[in-house]
Amino acid sequence: MIQPQTHLNVADNSGARELMCIRIIGASNRRYAHIGDVIVAVIKEAVPNMPLEKSEVIRAVIVRTCKELKRDNGMIIRYDDNAAVVIDQEGNPKGTRVFGAIARELRQLNFIKIVSLAPEVL
Amino acid sequence: MRLEKCWFCSSTIYPGHGIQYVRNDAKIFRFCRSKCHKNFKMKRNPRKVKWTKAYRRLHAKDMTQDSTFEFERKRNRPERYDRNLAENTLKAIKKIDKVRVDREARHHALRMKGKKAKEQREATKELEQSIHMVKAPAVLQQEPSLTLPKIKVKVAHQQSEENHPMEE
Repeated sequence: MIQPQTHLNVADNSGARELMCIRIIGASNRRYAHIGDVIVAVIKEAVPNMPLEKSEVIRAVIVRTCKELKRDNGMIIRYDDNAAVVIDQEGNPKGTRVFGAIARELRQLNFIKIVSLAPEVL
Repeated sequence: MRLEKCWFCSSTIYPGHGIQYVRNDAKIFRFCRSKCHKNFKMKRNPRKVKWTKAYRRLHAKDMTQDSTFEFERKRNRPERYDRNLAENTLKAIKKIDKVRVDREARHHALRMKGKKAKEQREATKELEQSIHMVKAPAVLQQEPSLTLPKIKVKVAHQQSEENHPMEE
């Protein structure tokens, strides 16, 4: 349940450390974003000497949420933090590595590159 | 489909039940119900919580080692489907469960044994010391045994019962 003003960790090595959600892409009045949704975010904290800098507005896809994710087979999964991976307009990740566990839902949503880079897909 | 074990209480989690919590180091904690999940969030150690299997095994209340536990080991290689194998496995599961339950019952009985003599001694002592609670001292003088006096209760004699079907 990510909404504007939510701070998210960054799960890749693109250079950003922390993002703040500004807007949810998809529908005009959408309240919350879940795993697999694309958001517009501003970089609140960045690693020095990287292409991405603080106060840059970028797009990201949410890969982990503290709010439970419900699957059709009845499985309910809860992660430990809210995390996103920085992507470009097409949906390709800007970084080259992804950290932490990634939800399997991203594969259906065509974020194949992220899923393939993930150390653990749950 | 796989039947998992609850991380906290060690009961089986059937599909559609419980919550899985994935920690940032990708360790998965499965819980069978919110009771176990809440206890986990409270950072309770299951080995110290009396009703969990972990506690009971640790304190030897339940069987710890048995050959029937070997059959339940986690297997990661899927078997090619073979009807005979599946049939035999199902039969074996039933039999193994029965054996395991019998052994657990025996373990429990063994644990509870050795109490009869103690209970008997306690009962006789209580009777000797507290006989005045149930038997008046006057009666005790007449009858100095420890048997309780017979009490006669008068019951109002009922007339022959008539069957009253539901009258309107």
